[in-house]
Amino acid sequence: MSGEYEPESIFEIPVGPQHPALKEPILLHFKIEGDIIVDVIPRPAYTHRGIEKATEARNYIQNIYLCERVCGICSFIHTLVYTQGVERLAEVEPPPRAKYIRVIVSELERIHSHALWLGVAAHELGFDTLFYYIWRDRELVMDLLELITGNRVNYAMSTVGGVRRDITDEVAHQIKKGMKIFRERLDVYTEVVEQEPTLRKRVVDVGKLSPHDAVALCAVGPTLRATGVKRDVRADDPYQAYDEIPFNVATYHTGDVLAQIVVRVLEMYEAANIIDYALDHMPGGPIRVKVPWNIAPNEVISRGEAPRGELFYYFKSNGTEKPERVKIRTPTLANIPAVRQMLLGYHIAEIPIVFASIDPCLSCTARFSFIDVKTGKSWVWDREQLRRYSLKWYGKQ
Amino acid sequence: MAGKTSLEEAVEKLKAGIGAENVLEVKYQPPRNVFVLVKTEKLKDAVSYIMKNLNYQYVITITGVDLIKQNQMEVIYHLTDYSNTISLRVRIPRDNPKVPTITDIIPGATLYEREVHDMFGIVFEGHPNLVKLLLPDGWPEDLHPLRKDVTVQQIRERLEEERKKGVRGI
Repeated sequence: MSGEYEPESIFEIPVGPQHPALKEPILLHFKIEGDIIVDVIPRPAYTHRGIEKATEARNYIQNIYLCERVCGICSFIHTLVYTQGVERLAEVEPPPRAKYIRVIVSELERIHSHALWLGVAAHELGFDTLFYYIWRDRELVMDLLELITGNRVNYAMSTVGGVRRDITDEVAHQIKKGMKIFRERLDVYTEVVEQEPTLRKRVVDVGKLSPHDAVALCAVGPTLRATGVKRDVRADDPYQAYDEIPFNVATYHTGDVLAQIVVRVLEMYEAANIIDYALDHMPGGPIRVKVPWNIAPNEVISRGEAPRGELFYYFKSNGTEKPERVKIRTPTLANIPAVRQMLLGYHIAEIPIVFASIDPCLSCTARFSFIDVKTGKSWVWDREQLRRYSLKWYGKQ
Repeated sequence: MAGKTSLEEAVEKLKAGIGAENVLEVKYQPPRNVFVLVKTEKLKDAVSYIMKNLNYQYVITITGVDLIKQNQMEVIYHLTDYSNTISLRVRIPRDNPKVPTITDIIPGATLYEREVHDMFGIVFEGHPNLVKLLLPDGWPEDLHPLRKDVTVQQIRERLEEERKKGVRGI
């Protein structure tokens, strides 16, 4: 892989649909010159489940549980944005206590999602010690979520008109204790990210994205904030109780994979602070109001900040108990054009970490097929082989 | 609230910018969203006015809606300056659904246009690469699943037929 490249020496490499860094399928069709990426064509067509069509055949309550299953990792934010939309459709306001409980659960979910991502990113970099440590600490948050909602995933917490379970004083005490321990652990990870040379070598100046491109390509969430653009739905278009809770929007200026890590670590601190503040200032009263079964013709949009970026729902009702149209836009779709830009000009060895850096939530598996267009020779690598190749390639540098 | 007045101002400016007669309907949705119906031939003017003159930065997504009773389709462009959202929409005839692309104004809209094309068969004229995005490779070109006259049963039967013909990947 050295020497001069001829223009016709461009290889085409289909990566996926069984995929490198993720749990879900996408086909990334790479054009490679030497081992430099010159073009990427993404095709996320392998997990279409027809959920938008299915919502039209179910009533508003059944759809909560359907929308919860759009995503396994950020399932709560889906129910939050869904129920918020239906409440706006019916022009019902949820009680204040329910809003605070929703904020607490969604911030706990953000911590668990970011911790999961940080572990996966560390694994992609060959830093498995960090992966094991961070996933151990993530269990702390998972236990708290189980304590509040009764489930580790798919919490069935938010419902139309409020939430289904209250947070008692005892549980609140447990959450605060958990956040104290988690903050101490976060200090350790901050130190690792700031000082560990083996980690920094892999992420500094890799997968760079300029703020201009990030905005033009409509990137969202931590991917956008890692380029220094201070945009967050929680602050810009506050929903639930976010307009009553002070918090900082975490940004970092470098736009590379390091910035993505830093932004997510800072967001975990912020989330812990938001949880503490919300627990201290939680109003009393009921947690749920009644909402009519049939909803008069209306249309609304509903936005929320999922761990990966902005989540968007559009609703149209028609006077019956079933919606006329529900449109869902998940943050990963918004970030695909940006990740394409981030990969250009980098090496094959950097595909796993750069693609993982947007925290994509599509679906994934484990097979890479490499085809040399000139000779017609092809070979297949699974994810582990690609990871090893990437580690070996970096070992030589 | 300050947010709402700035949204009202934005709608006033938009009316002045593209001509008030081209704005057919304005409907506010609290707290910070407005639905604006414009004439199809003024769509691109409206989008570029909102993006350039009003300094809106990004399109959240593009929604297709099948208005089967009116024999029309609706395309909604949710444009935002991150705080306020203008949901700009156009209505087009159902038997010949065509709108101009906005990808030359907003590069980030390309995947959303492809998604709406998949689901409703709406043609975005001038799109650089209007091919399937979310539906599988073997999916029939003329079957648009989110249209109201396509039932789940019909989709099942049609895919079964295609499989018998030997089409793979569905």
